[in-house]
Amino acid sequence: MKARQFGCFNSGSLHRVFIVSVTFAVCAALALLPGAGLVHSAASLPSIKIGAAGPYSGDLSKIGLDGLNAIKMAVEEANAAGGVRGRKIEIVEADDAGDSSKAILVAEKLAMDRAVLGVVGPMNSSTVEAALPTYQRAGLAIISQSATKPSLTEAGYKVMHRICPRDDAQGPASAKFIVEVLKAKNVYIIDDKTAYGQGLSDEVEAALKAAGVKPVRSQITLEDRDFSPILTRVRAAKPDLLYLGLANPAQAASIIKQAAGLGISVRFMGGDGLKEKDQLIAGSAGLAEGMYVTTIGRDITEVPEAAEFIRKFEGKFGAMSVFSGQTYEATNILIDAMRRASADPSKLTRALVLEALGKTAGYKGILGFPISFDSKGDVIGAGIYVYQVKGDDFVLVR
Amino acid sequence: MDLFLMQIPQQIVNGVTLGSVYALLALGYSMVYGVLKMLNFAHGSVFMVGAFAGWGVLSLLAPGSVLAINPALALLAMVAAGTAATALLGATIERLAYRPLRGGSRMAPLISALGVSIILENAAMLLTSGRAKTYQTELIFPQTWAVHVAGATISATRIAMLASSMAIMIILDMVVSRTRFGRAMRATSQDAEAAEYIGIRTAAVIAGTFTIGSALAGVAGVMVGLYYTQIDFMIGFSAGLKAFTAAVLGGIGNFRGAAAGGLLLGLAESIGVLVAPPVYKDAIVFAVLIITLILRPSGLLGKQMRARA
Repeated sequence: MKARQFGCFNSGSLHRVFIVSVTFAVCAALALLPGAGLVHSAASLPSIKIGAAGPYSGDLSKIGLDGLNAIKMAVEEANAAGGVRGRKIEIVEADDAGDSSKAILVAEKLAMDRAVLGVVGPMNSSTVEAALPTYQRAGLAIISQSATKPSLTEAGYKVMHRICPRDDAQGPASAKFIVEVLKAKNVYIIDDKTAYGQGLSDEVEAALKAAGVKPVRSQITLEDRDFSPILTRVRAAKPDLLYLGLANPAQAASIIKQAAGLGISVRFMGGDGLKEKDQLIAGSAGLAEGMYVTTIGRDITEVPEAAEFIRKFEGKFGAMSVFSGQTYEATNILIDAMRRASADPSKLTRALVLEALGKTAGYKGILGFPISFDSKGDVIGAGIYVYQVKGDDFVLVR
Repeated sequence: MDLFLMQIPQQIVNGVTLGSVYALLALGYSMVYGVLKMLNFAHGSVFMVGAFAGWGVLSLLAPGSVLAINPALALLAMVAAGTAATALLGATIERLAYRPLRGGSRMAPLISALGVSIILENAAMLLTSGRAKTYQTELIFPQTWAVHVAGATISATRIAMLASSMAIMIILDMVVSRTRFGRAMRATSQDAEAAEYIGIRTAAVIAGTFTIGSALAGVAGVMVGLYYTQIDFMIGFSAGLKAFTAAVLGGIGNFRGAAAGGLLLGLAESIGVLVAPPVYKDAIVFAVLIITLILRPSGLLGKQMRARA
C-alpha cells in the first residue's frame, strides 16, 4: 500500500502523463493554427462575470440573500441555455451589508475585475447612491431591482438602470389612496433614515400636504429593536393611519406587535419593501391584518409567466422574498443585453453591454409588463398597485 | 403641552422595563471586568444566543401556535434553556478564547472577544439565513393582560420582566456579599495574585464568574425576545453596546453601579424621546454617559481613584 502511494513512476501514472501531454499539445496546436478560418470556439473563451451587489450580511441580509438566490437561478438557467453566445457566465458576489461605505469598496472590486461586464444591484437606494460614481468611472452598467430614490437617475450617470418605479411615482399614489380611499385625516409617518425609507416617506409627506393632510413625522434607525418610546409618542398623537416608510419588513412586523402591546389600534400602510409574507404577515402573528402596502407592478404570483419561476424558486430556496422576482428579472435583462451586445462573443466589452442594456425595449419576463428603459435608465411601463393583508396573503384592492 | 405630559407615565414605564434588561446585561459585563479587568465584548452575542435558545424552546413547545403545556411551565423551560445555553457558552468561550491568552498582552483577550462575537453573530446569521424570528409572546402573556396606571399601559410581560430582574439582582447581590464564592470573587477582583497566595483557585473563580455572567445574559435574552416579540442575529450588537455603556456609567466592576447604570440608561433613552426626536435616542444615551464621566470619571458608584504617587 505504502510503496504504491510513493511510487510515482509506476507504469500507470506514466501512461496518464503521456495522454495528458499529448492532449495538451494537440489543443495548443489547434488554438494556434493561424488563419484556419475557425472563429474562436466560444468554449475556449474565458467566462463573462456578472457582479451581484447587495446586502448579504447585516440587518437586511434576508432580503439580500433571497435576491442572490434569484441571481444564481437566472445565471444557472442562462448557462444551461448556452450562456452568452457560448461563453459561460460567472457570478461575483459583492456583499455591501446595506452599508454605503462598503458599497463603494465592493464597487471598486467589481470595477477592477475586467471580466465583470455588468452588475445586478445594488439593492438599496443608499448603496446605489454611494457606489454610482465608481461604476460610472468604470463604465460598468448596473441594473438595480429595488432602488427607488428618484435622484438616482437624475444625476446623469449613464450606467444607472432600474426596473422599479421611483418613489415619486409610489409616494403620490400612496398619498392619493390614503386621502381618497382611506379618508385618513391624521397621519403619522415613521421612516428608518435609509435612502429608501426616508425618500419614500418624503414623497408621501409632500403629496399628503398637497392634498391638505398634515402628517407627523418621526424617525427610527435600522438598528432599533425597541419601539416603545416612539410608539408612546404615536399613541399620544392619536393618528388614524400609521405609515411605515421602512426597508425591513421584519422591523415593520415588530412595530406592529409592539404597538398592539401598548394598546394602539390604528391602520397601517407601507411601501413595496414591506410586502413580504414570511416576515410581515407571519412575523406579526396576524396583527398586520388589514395593513395596506403599495407595490411596483402586480404581485408576480398573479402573473402567469412567473408561475414557472415561483415553482422552481420556492422548491429550491423556500418562500420567496419581496425582491426575488425583481432580482431574477433584472439578472435576465442584463444577460439578454449581453447576448444582444455583440455578435462575436469574444469582442464583448463593458461599453457594448451598457449600450445594449440601455436599448432594452419591451422585454417580456415575469413581472407582467414589458420592460423598457427611458433615456435616464428609469423603467417605463410599471404601475403602482395597492394590496391589503387578508389572512395570510396580500389581496389586490386597487 | 398636554400631549407631552400625557406621555410621561408611559415613557417612565418603557424606560424602567428596558433599563432592567440593560441592568442584567451590564451586571455580566461588570462581573467579568471585576475579576479579569477585561471587557468581554462577546457579551452581546452571548445574549443573542440566549434569546435564540428561548425562541427554540417556545417554538418546540408551541407547534402550530398552540402551546402544548402550561404557559408558566413553558416560560420556565425557556428561561432554563436560555440560561443553560449561555452558561455553557460562556464557560466554553472563557476556556477556549480567553484562558490561553491570560498573562499575555492586555489587548489580546479584547481582540479575542471581538473575534468570538463576530463568529457567534455570523453563525447565527447562517443558521437563521438572516431571518428575524418571531417570539409568540401572546402564548405566554396574552395582550389583554395589562394594567393601566395613570395613562400608562403596563403589560404582563413588562411586570414579569421587572419582577424577575429585580429578584435576580437581589439574589446576585446576596451571593456576592454572603457566600464563599462571592468572597472568593471579591478577593480575586481586588488582587488576583494575593488571592492565589491565600489558596483561592482563581481560575475556577474566573470560570464561575463567566458562567454566571453569561447566564444573566441568557435570562436577559429571553426577556428581550418576549418584550420585543422578535429577535434576529443582530440584536446582540446594540444591546452589548448599551450594556457596556451602563456598566461604565455605574462604575465598571461595581455590581450595584451596573444595575443603577442600566436603569438610568433605559430611562434616559425613553424620557429623552419626549424632548428630542426619537432618532436621537442613542445620541441621548451617550450624551448621558459623557456628562456623567466628566462629572464623575469613575462612574456613578465607582470608587474614586486616588492619584498614585
